[in-house]
Amino acid sequence: MSGDHTSSVISAQVRHVEALLESRGLLDNGEIDGRIDKFLTRGSPANGARITARAWVDAGFSERLLADANSAIREVGLSMAGGLQEQRLKVVVNTVEEHNVVVCTLCSCYPLALLGPSPSWYKSEAYRSRVVRDPRGVLREFGLELPERTRISVWDASAESRYMVVPRRPEGTEGLSEEQLAALVTRKGLIGTAAV
Amino acid sequence: MSRINDVGGMAGFPAITEESDEPPFHADWEAHVFALNGALIKRGVYNLDEFRDAIERMSPEEYLAASYYERWFTAITMLLIEKGVASPEELDLPHG
Amino acid sequence: MADLAPGMRVRTRTADPDGHTRLPRYARGAVGVLVEEAGVHPLADDRARGRAGTPQPVWHVRFAAADLFGSGDHTVTVELWGEYLTPIEEHA
Repeated sequence: MSGDHTSSVISAQVRHVEALLESRGLLDNGEIDGRIDKFLTRGSPANGARITARAWVDAGFSERLLADANSAIREVGLSMAGGLQEQRLKVVVNTVEEHNVVVCTLCSCYPLALLGPSPSWYKSEAYRSRVVRDPRGVLREFGLELPERTRISVWDASAESRYMVVPRRPEGTEGLSEEQLAALVTRKGLIGTAAV
Repeated sequence: MSRINDVGGMAGFPAITEESDEPPFHADWEAHVFALNGALIKRGVYNLDEFRDAIERMSPEEYLAASYYERWFTAITMLLIEKGVASPEELDLPHG
Repeated sequence: MADLAPGMRVRTRTADPDGHTRLPRYARGAVGVLVEEAGVHPLADDRARGRAGTPQPVWHVRFAAADLFGSGDHTVTVELWGEYLTPIEEHA
């Protein structure tokens, strides 16, 4: 980001535009703060982690999730309908044979309801330009070294669907509860740039 | 014609950097820009694809020099002018 | 627009239109395979020009990286509107 001076100038400009729009009746009083609160409380990677843990322990749920993710996530009390419109969700699952990783090369499309606000690296030109061309190299940069025999599938969110990856369940987790399993899952695991 | 946002497969960008414990917004104004965009789309001032298009119409130099939410704010003001909601002079900060 | 079905091989549009489009340039004029339909939506190209656009099927289209970039053993699956796609005639 630019320096403090630029930041204070743009900050004043944003306030000015907001005031102008309020005076024209295009913004309601308190609307901006309400929207910010809603965004910050609506989604978090904990949602994606819950879906993942359920898929690990319940093969039937996993099957339904891959076939029709929008319906399946309602079983765990989640929905893709909280934004401007209901978005189609496509869930893909990692196996020994196939590793999935998600990008939006054209802009920054991301499943906000399930993963919360996106990290800056996901929106960066560096990630968007390279992961489609050299995913193995990019994953290595993230510290994820995949076996040669694991095929990599990159998904470019270039239209209306949003994507989530179900990472592989770590070995030695047989005795854990669904809640404990969910705690193992990270945001990067749900994008496909980490193992879990 | 190809625009600067269409970077898939392009060479020359730096290594990917991760920020640990990154906050959702890095400054208050970023959160305001985010919310402002949602409010204007909801009111039908413009649609989401017109917004994406406006970001893509930035010049490559300007696009690459701008932060993520600086791009958003540029697109919002472009659209407010183009849709006849406000003039460039009105959007500019009054000079004190 | 031709009828599209999973498993079909398609070529993407070669042209580079003025203005907003959702066919990334790395997948322009490339041959891929239809994986599954990804819903029905108005063409984003139209909406970005302020038009309503007629809803049409959108597809997950899978490309071999080697066909896009000349190297790589991975695949890239891109989500593309039917209008961008032309089925490839299969000769027996």
